[in-house]
Formats: sequence, C-alpha cells, structure tokens
Amino acid sequence: MFQWNKKGLVRWCVMGSVLAALPMVAGAQWKAKDTEWASYGADLAGTRYRPLDQINAANFNDLEIAWRIKTDNFGNRPEYKLEGTPLMVNGVVYATAGSRRAAIALDAVTGELLWVHGEHEGARGGAAPRQLSGRGLAYWSDGKEERILYVTPGYQLICLDAKTGLRVATFGNKGAVDLKLNDDQEILPDLATGEIGIQSAPVVAKDTVIVGAAFREGMTPKSMRNNKGYVRGFDVRTGKRLWIFHTIPKQGEFGYDTWLNGSAEYTGNTGVWTQVTVDEELGLVYLPVESPTNDFYGGHRPGNNLFGESLVCVDLKTGQRKWHYQLVHHPLWDMDISSAPILADVTVDGKPVKAVAQPSKQGFLYVFDRVTGKPVWPFEEKQVEVGTVPGEWYSPTQPIPSKPPAYSRNGVSLDDLVDFTPEINARAKAIASKYHLGPVYTPPSESKIDGTLGTLTTGTASGGTNWPGGSYDPETHMVYAFACNACAEPIGLVRAPKEVSDMNYIAGTAGEEVKILRGPGENAGADSPMPAKKRAGSGYVALNVDGLPLLKPPYGTISAINLDKGEIVWQIAHGETPDVVRNYPALKGMNIPRTGQETYNTGTLVTKTLVIAGDGQITTTSEHPRGAMLRAYDKKSGKEVGAVYMPAPQSGSPMTYMVNGKQYIVVAVSGGAYSGEYIAYSLPSSE
Amino acid sequence: MLIADLYGEVLARATGRTARAQETASTSRSVWDGVYTEEQAKRGEELYRRECASCHGDTLVGGGGAAPLTGGAFLSNWNGLTVGDLFDRIRKTMPQGSLGKLTKQQDADILAYLLSFNKFPAGKTELQKQVEFLREIRFEATKPEAK
Repeated sequence: MFQWNKKGLVRWCVMGSVLAALPMVAGAQWKAKDTEWASYGADLAGTRYRPLDQINAANFNDLEIAWRIKTDNFGNRPEYKLEGTPLMVNGVVYATAGSRRAAIALDAVTGELLWVHGEHEGARGGAAPRQLSGRGLAYWSDGKEERILYVTPGYQLICLDAKTGLRVATFGNKGAVDLKLNDDQEILPDLATGEIGIQSAPVVAKDTVIVGAAFREGMTPKSMRNNKGYVRGFDVRTGKRLWIFHTIPKQGEFGYDTWLNGSAEYTGNTGVWTQVTVDEELGLVYLPVESPTNDFYGGHRPGNNLFGESLVCVDLKTGQRKWHYQLVHHPLWDMDISSAPILADVTVDGKPVKAVAQPSKQGFLYVFDRVTGKPVWPFEEKQVEVGTVPGEWYSPTQPIPSKPPAYSRNGVSLDDLVDFTPEINARAKAIASKYHLGPVYTPPSESKIDGTLGTLTTGTASGGTNWPGGSYDPETHMVYAFACNACAEPIGLVRAPKEVSDMNYIAGTAGEEVKILRGPGENAGADSPMPAKKRAGSGYVALNVDGLPLLKPPYGTISAINLDKGEIVWQIAHGETPDVVRNYPALKGMNIPRTGQETYNTGTLVTKTLVIAGDGQITTTSEHPRGAMLRAYDKKSGKEVGAVYMPAPQSGSPMTYMVNGKQYIVVAVSGGAYSGEYIAYSLPSSE
Repeated sequence: MLIADLYGEVLARATGRTARAQETASTSRSVWDGVYTEEQAKRGEELYRRECASCHGDTLVGGGGAAPLTGGAFLSNWNGLTVGDLFDRIRKTMPQGSLGKLTKQQDADILAYLLSFNKFPAGKTELQKQVEFLREIRFEATKPEAK
C-alpha cells in the first residue's frame, strides 16, 4: 500500500477547505443530491440520469475542458483501456485509475489530486484474470463518516476513508476483505493464482456492500472445472459477510436439478461480473448473471443451467432468492447478462408498474415487474434450431419478448450483408458462404475445412448492449441504449487436444492451431507460450471486405425505448462514419448516411434534455482532426444538437455533476496510441 | 458545422499527440513505401503467433476486448500517426503480463508482420528498431493516389 507523504497531507488540507465549504447531510439517512453522482450508474437504480440542464442543446458546442488527468502514473505502465465512470460527492470526484487500479480523489472543480491509494499485490495481482483500472468504486456515508470501497485486481475488497484515502482499520482485516476466502468454495489452485476477480464497481445499498465475480474470457477454457462466481453481501461498517448467493446451486438448493449428470459440482464461472442494481425501498437486489464454463460449448453441463444468463432477484438483507428469469436456456452464445438492470416506475395500460428493464447483447430489452418477476409483456418460448455438435445438449426453445421489439440485429441472413455496391455484396456473400447463417439462437457449429467454418452470429459475444448498459429517464419513462448492430462474431467449435483443454470442444477455426485464447486484463505471462505453428490448411477468411464491415450499417445505434408502451420511439446511428467507409474508393460520391460504429463499449448519459455519448472509434474527417466526438442528442427526438472534440474514443461511460453552480461532464478516453485520461468538460466561466 | 468554432480552443488544449501527428505529416515516407522486408515479416509472424495470437487471434481480429490489429477500426486508429507511435505502444504494453520479454528487434519484426498482414507492401530494407526512426514513417490507412 502506498500513501501520500507530507506533501500529500498539505494537499489534503486543500481538500479540507473544499469540504468545509459544502453542506454535509447530517443524520443516518444520508442521501445523494440530484447534483451528485454517488454510484457507478448515478444511482442504485442504474439510470445514468441526472436532472441537470445547465449544459443543453444551446450551449453544448461551447463546452471546454475544465480539467483533465492522465492515468499513466497510477501504475507501473500506462493503461490504454480506461473504462471507469467516476463518482462525485460533496465536491470530490472519486475514480479508479491506471494499471495499478488505484483509487484517486480529485477536486471536482479543478481536478487537483487530493489523494491516491493503491495496493501492491505482487504475484496475486499479476495472476488476476481481470486487471487494469476496472470500472469504478462505491461511496458510502452515514452522514458523518464517508467511505470509498473498491475491489483490487487480486480480488480484495478495500475500504478507505473518503477524506484521506487511508484504509479504514475497523473494516475487515485492517481495511481489506480477502474475497478469495469465505466464499463457500475453495478457490483453486491457491490463493495467489486461483482464477477469480472482478472489474466492475461494488455497490453499497443501505449498509450492505455487494460484490460479484469475474473470470478469464470463457471461449477456450483449459478445463470444464472452474471456480464459481458467487455473489456476496458484506457489512459496510465491519466487512463481515452477511450473505452469499450461489449462482450455481449447491445440492439441495433450487435449480440444482437443472445441471444434469452432477455438472453443477464442477462447472464454474456463472458470475456476476457487471453492475448490480438495488431497490432500497423494496429491499431487493437484481443480479445479472453470466454464462457457465465454456461460452460456446455446453456438452459437459447438460440441462438448462440455472442461474446462468438469468436475471435473479434476491433479498438485500439475506441474499435469498425472490425470483429469477433465465433469459437464455443452456447458454451457448456468450450472452452474459452484461449490464446493470434498470429500475423504472412506469405506467402500463393505465396501471403503475415497478419494473426492471434488462438490456442485452441479443438486442432484446427484457422488462419485468420487479416485485414479482413476471414479464410486463409476455415472453414466448419459441422453437429454435437444434445443432449437431457431438455431445452438446440443446434447449429446444428460448424466450422471446413480445415487446419491445429487438433494438439491434441479432441474427445474420444474406440480406444483412454489406451491399454498398453489387461487387462488394458479392464479396460479402462469398465470405458468408463459409459460415452457417441464421436468426437469433442459431447454435454454434463445428468448424470444418470442407464444410462451414462455424456459425456467423451477431448479437452474441460483443453485440448489442455490453457492459456500459443503458440509461433511463424517470420523467419520460424512456430507456436509452447504445447497441452494436454489426458486431459479426463467427462461432466455430473445434475438438480440443487433451494437452490444451479437457473439454470436448472449444472455440476455434478448422485448420488453425487450437489454443487457449485470452483477453485484455488477463496475465498472459501466467501461461506457457504455445508452440508456433504455420497456418497451413487454414480455411480462415477475414470478416470484412477490404476493411468494410461485413454487415450493413447502421453499425452502432442508440435507441430510445418507451417503457410505458414497449415501443422504440427513435433510433439513430451513433458515431462518425468510419474512415474505411468514407475513404473507400468505390464509394466516393455516394451519399451514405452516417453509419455509426461497430463498437461494444459505448455508454450513454441522460440529463434533463440530452442523451450524451462519445464515439467509440477514431476518425479523421474534414470537420475534425483525428479524434472522436462526444455527442449530444435531443432526448425527445434523437436529433444531434452538439458535439465536442475528444482526443481519443470514449472508453468509459460519461457522468455529470454540478458543483458551485457549474455543471461538468466527465468522460474516460483511451485507446490506440492514447493512454487513459479522464476529461471534465464545462461551459466557459465568462458565459 | 456544429464543431468548427470549438476546435481552435479545444485542440489548443489537447495533448501534443495531435500536434505531433500534424508534424509527422511532413515526413517523407509512409507505410506504402515498402518499409519492411518479407523476410522480416516472416520472422515477425513466428513471433506474433507465439507471443500475441493468444489474445489478438491468429487472424489479428482481436476478440474478448483485445484490440483488432487489422480491419477498419485498426487502420483508422493509427491513421495520421506514425509507425513509431504503434511501435511505442507495443513497447510500453506488450506482451501483456510479460512486459519487457521481447527485444526491440523482435517488436520491429512483429510490426513488420502487422504491416504485411494489412497489405502494406514489402520493400528492400527492414524496419528499424529505433522509435525515433520509425516516427519518420507515416501510417496512412489509404494508399495515396499515384502522382
């Protein structure tokens, strides 16, 4: 652990004066103000909404940079994947930052660094499945004490004094709870290297801290056996474990029988790696659960596999299940429930409904009565294709919501292929001919050189709405959600050599070397390098036509969905048309409407009048130098009303707050050559 | 022109990255001028498959959040910068988890493979391993029209 030295304490004195100037809420029932952003999703309902309007359509273009902070030095190397959304309470911005995943506190007006806290976890941090700075942290106060909580890459829950950044000695073991312990399972193979961690922000509701779990990317696991991703609640004052929810039921628990052949005993993953939502008034917690072990092959876990890819409602005080709904039976498509459920009090057919709306990778917005778990609009169990991969167990049906309609593409047919010109379309068809195509829930297929290389999907691993989730306007009852509408994902399965995995099949392409795939945030050094082999005989084809996306635009969209009616009110392409499209020689002179961008990490912010989101890719146009734009849309119509330059793509979802009568918008940018940076925009002081 | 009035102000406050990109626009060579050799790209391919492919994929398409190293998003990400900027990014962050494992020469070879895979032409001289020299090579996504 490192802390500020004497110089740091001097800075803290500056912070003290900031705090003294602000009114503190007294009493045990501390509540964030509308001008603050006290939880990752603005509030525990996951709305990403603040009713602020100083920054509006008339002045968005006047925004200038109020302050900025590079995160390079919050770790021993720069980070190019800064995904955090900061918090702002009482004039102080809190965030995670840098390759150390440091917690930092900044003056909300000037950006001055007030304190920094980092944990040096050695081999344990180095082996963590989810490294880098994570998505954020949690704030708690009883009106007197203020605490910051976050989870380190090595899976420790750290509790800090929000005023000093020092560990709270009375919480857990000197300010830390080892999350690899007291988890109703032995984390294997050992505490240092045992695979489990998390990158999302913890949530604090009343006095309970809720923490889930994440693992390595799950396309090519070494084994069908893995640690399990249980969810736990801890006392925010002491760090004591209050409850645990077994996302894979133990013997005797509800749902155990959905794992045939005893597969619940050894199957792992099935964590809650994204944001948790809480209704404090009802005392209910909403858990979005991911896929079980092996994203694309479930032959070792026959059955529906509860609570894989289920939305689960548990009691805030006990963790006991109240209701659940499995969105995908026997998951095979990496349709992790990837973002925060959104709480919405709506009016359907004249009746008030306390609803929870769940955006998804597959482009369905699943809407439930959040008290009973009953769908607000019925879901139909529709027949889906049953595949032919040896040993696989298939669910014959999947639930499809009757309303609202899918807000992003979730299947691939020939009609979905790029067709800017007949020649481009012909080349796209030639590529697609190497794959099995079909609508949503077309199953993965075996990759064969002399057959198809796999199933060509969209709305799966990186489609639709991913971890940034959606936003919700409680005044107009609208959900706003970005979705990748063209993230084509080939899912091929190959037999796994025993020296690579004990599973029968893992993701791969015929003719390619079969290997364990990793994602960013994993420790590549922990695994031995695979022997290099030539690519002879590979049937691989690139899923683009000279760099043009294989699927038709729009590549990325923002949709506005009315939750009173279950209807899409507007949908726009979000993001500048990519360079590769604008500069493609055969397209010169063609009038191609803005296409949006095929990114999966775009989050939205909603204010009194605007929906705000940044581009997810770099472009260079006649209107701006290489960079990306932070865009504002009229939330009623979707019309773009302003845009401000960012030096790199939005990589963390934007937030807003107001301090001393001034509104700020903060967004994390990074990617490519640009290392992580938080940038705060506000209006010029003179205006 | 929603943004035209804003650029002067914002860009003046932006990092030197943009300024450097503008400076490098005057450098004489680009990735279209045969800045690596086929032999170097072959060496780079072996290294890539051993050190990089487990995250970025055999076909450089990325996945699971690992950045693609081919295709439109990759090209626009580096368009307007230099090969040195890409080299610098590799040196600073890769291979993830075993940073410092590869030599400058190995990174230059891998970079040659990336250029080869993305169909930038090979030439008669190898990519050098000094970032300062590599910053003299513009990364242009689109092939310039013949003069």
